[in-house]
Amino acid sequence: MPDYALIYFPVRGRAEAIRLLLADQGIDWEEDEVQIADWVSGKDGRKKDAVFGQLPGFRDGDFVLYQSNSILRYLGNKHGLDGSDAHERAVVDMVNSGVEDLRQKYGRFLYFEYETGKDKYLETLPAQLDLFERILSKNANGSAFIVGNKISYADYNLLDTLHCHIDLSPTCLSNYPLLSAYVERLVSRPKLAKYLNSDVCKRRPITPKHK
Amino acid sequence: MSGYTLTYYPVRGRAEAIRLLLADQDIPWEEDEVQWQDWCSGNHDERKKAVFGRLPQFQNGDFVLCQSNSILRYLAHKHGLTGDNDEESAHIDMVNDSVEDLRKKYGRFIYFTCQEKGKGKYLEALPQQLEFFERVLSKNHNGSKFVVGQKISYADYNLVDLLQCHLDLSPECLSAFPLLRAYLERLVSQPTLSDYLNSDARKRRPITLKHKMAESEK
Repeated sequence: MPDYALIYFPVRGRAEAIRLLLADQGIDWEEDEVQIADWVSGKDGRKKDAVFGQLPGFRDGDFVLYQSNSILRYLGNKHGLDGSDAHERAVVDMVNSGVEDLRQKYGRFLYFEYETGKDKYLETLPAQLDLFERILSKNANGSAFIVGNKISYADYNLLDTLHCHIDLSPTCLSNYPLLSAYVERLVSRPKLAKYLNSDVCKRRPITPKHK
Repeated sequence: MSGYTLTYYPVRGRAEAIRLLLADQDIPWEEDEVQWQDWCSGNHDERKKAVFGRLPQFQNGDFVLCQSNSILRYLAHKHGLTGDNDEESAHIDMVNDSVEDLRKKYGRFIYFTCQEKGKGKYLEALPQQLEFFERVLSKNHNGSKFVVGQKISYADYNLVDLLQCHLDLSPECLSAFPLLRAYLERLVSQPTLSDYLNSDARKRRPITLKHKMAESEK
């Protein structure tokens, strides 16, 4: 029985970066699946426990945590995935905050403007991707990770966010050689590749809107 | 001299929680004030360093950081404001992320919603958000201490600032939340924080750029 459990809907959404981290690090976890309709209606008792009424939640033994980025930082700290020193930790944090900003924009587009706003969203996307291409270029010419020379939680979050965008527009990285190579490099990591090709991963839609 | 510099517009906005932390901890810093128009023009020197093109930005010697919550966490790690152990630290992080969620809602309301039409709706949804924080407080020594644990953390500074933003919007918004009210009163009475809150530097800064524009239109 793994120590870790992830409490979430049967979608990728805000849990997937956490799953990528755990899978890539060879860490077992239990999926504590919640049906969306039961959550929204309040029928699922776990909603009362959720400190801010939202998922994902994460259990490490008796310790329970909510907020996807806090969970990422908690696991980052526990498993040495948050940079090599205090400065690098702060830079990983900052880049992850930038990924979160992009994820928020994506979420707002998906949930509020999907039918009418796709072209506009894709027009504004390059300005966002430019920022990450630039960050990559300043770190060993993009040949390593988003920060430093070892993988961090920001990499898993960025990878997932890029996957969401590739799903939306398969050519969105065509002008971004460093980001393209970065994605290919990460998804070829053996344990991550195994997870990404697994049935459990493949059968989860990105969001409830993707079903 | 700490060697700290905070680059931001002459408003409270996303820098104020950082200022509250530094002021309360008696850590001096230099304000590098930027006018919004200058920043938007793209010509400002600091813009080249801004990894995501936005402010606030924080500098400690040669080390430059942006993203307000990352800056808060960096300072918190440096100055012992992240709780007493890893689990407490994670809970502080979680609460801070929830403060950020409410701050985003507030920001969207202030900047993008028509104030007259949207204010009622925003204030109707607010109690449900505040309830979460009231409940978190109630589970920590019945709300008599800090939002998490027994000593102040960066989440407290962020929450105090956000509550003050909301009181400006609606002076009665905490009337149904006794623990939050008492918590806020208790924290703003701490001597070093109180000194800062009563300072000219603080008083002359409007809450947001929108507040600033409204003031200059009067």
